[in-house]
Amino acid sequence: MTFQERFSLNFIEKGRYKYLLSGINNTLLITIIAAAIGIALGFLIAIIRSTHDTTGRLKILDFLCKIYLTVIRGTPTTVQLLIVYFVIFSSVSRPMLSAFIAFGLNSAAYVAEIVRSGIMSIDPGQMEAGRSLGLTYPQTMVFVIIPQAFKNVLPALANEFIVLLKETSICIAISLRDLTYGTQLISSQTYDYMFPLLAGALIYLVIVVFLTWLFGKLERSMRKNER
Amino acid sequence: MNGEVLLDIQGLEKHFGDNRVLRGITTQIRKGEVVAIIGPSGCGKSTFLRSLNLLEEPTGGKIFFEGAEITGPDADVNKIRRKIGMVFQQFNLFPHLTIRRNITLAPVKLGLLGREEANRRADELLARVGLPDKANAYPSQLSGGQKQRIAIARAMAMNPDVMLFDEPTSALDPEMVGEVLEIMRELAESGMTMVVVTHEMGFAREVASRAVFIDEGVIKEDNAPEKFFTSAQNPRLRDFLSKVL
Repeated sequence: MTFQERFSLNFIEKGRYKYLLSGINNTLLITIIAAAIGIALGFLIAIIRSTHDTTGRLKILDFLCKIYLTVIRGTPTTVQLLIVYFVIFSSVSRPMLSAFIAFGLNSAAYVAEIVRSGIMSIDPGQMEAGRSLGLTYPQTMVFVIIPQAFKNVLPALANEFIVLLKETSICIAISLRDLTYGTQLISSQTYDYMFPLLAGALIYLVIVVFLTWLFGKLERSMRKNER
Repeated sequence: MNGEVLLDIQGLEKHFGDNRVLRGITTQIRKGEVVAIIGPSGCGKSTFLRSLNLLEEPTGGKIFFEGAEITGPDADVNKIRRKIGMVFQQFNLFPHLTIRRNITLAPVKLGLLGREEANRRADELLARVGLPDKANAYPSQLSGGQKQRIAIARAMAMNPDVMLFDEPTSALDPEMVGEVLEIMRELAESGMTMVVVTHEMGFAREVASRAVFIDEGVIKEDNAPEKFFTSAQNPRLRDFLSKVL
């Protein structure tokens, strides 16, 4: 078979490219929602943890956060996904929802530690300056500390979301039709592995390169006010 | 000087573990006074100053601000701090905000001024500290002396009743010390109550209305500057002055 014939067989005939398109759609949707959950929950955990580290308050919450981080970072993501899908949602088949939750909770743990390191890297004088003006602790956190911390950890956060995007490929374990699963669906019909898999890899690569470019742009625009 | 008492400090103590930094400081700061706090490094003078707006929580003793105790459990620390401005050795400007936003952040977020009103006030203050053209600059674009002048403007934006200065010129290159002291002198002449921890003996002598020597966690001398610098009673102060003058 010529290159063109194989290409046509895998992607054109019977509209098989649609497996890839809907796969991209699901992969991106899982990544975006998981990232949103990860950011929201991760920032919350980071603020709780760093508040405890610097002021000694929120002992119980800090303890709960530590347990959470230990469990999430101490077990494989695939196992977490399987537990959410087969144990927590055992009575209903909700693969997408399971993926949102599993990847969201997983990402939150890593985002939390990244953001916490960012908060802790800000000179304590910044908090003192805010407080000395009469701003409350939460106000100083939101208007003074977090914006600076966010800028400092943006490269690490970008990396986390790129890892997240690629890690969603383990959704194949719960038969969720993401991009990777799409390539396998094509293979199962055409008995060709090389073309679908290389196409899948190429698509992941293009998305990652695009994300890298986007984060780089964001980072540069946020660094404008330095020197 | 017999203005009303703004800050009444009674037996102030601060311990860091076994280290007793302040061992019972009692003094009063009256309206309109400019008090220079002088002492060897590690004597507790910065800790004393930082206790006045509760950046350090006192271990013992009481502080009253405008007649109300601020060291009690019901004191509203945030409300009190609005009226006590502070200028830091390391400036502590907010690097992610423009100079204008540095000055207006607190008044706007605390709902004291509208955005436009705050901007007008910022322009006034910038003119007053001699940097009217820096409103849209970022802190990293300024020299150390300019940063400290902005820090003073930022503290003044809250219309404080008293201003605390924690070694405001110690982190500056020598040629920039003068411009900051000049702003502080003008502030003092306008009647602002000031407590200044400083190593600038010239400033203490010329601008301060009172000089206080802290050593080993207690006040060892508290006198008018002319007497403080010429006829000091305390032997530790004499020793200290002989080294720095």
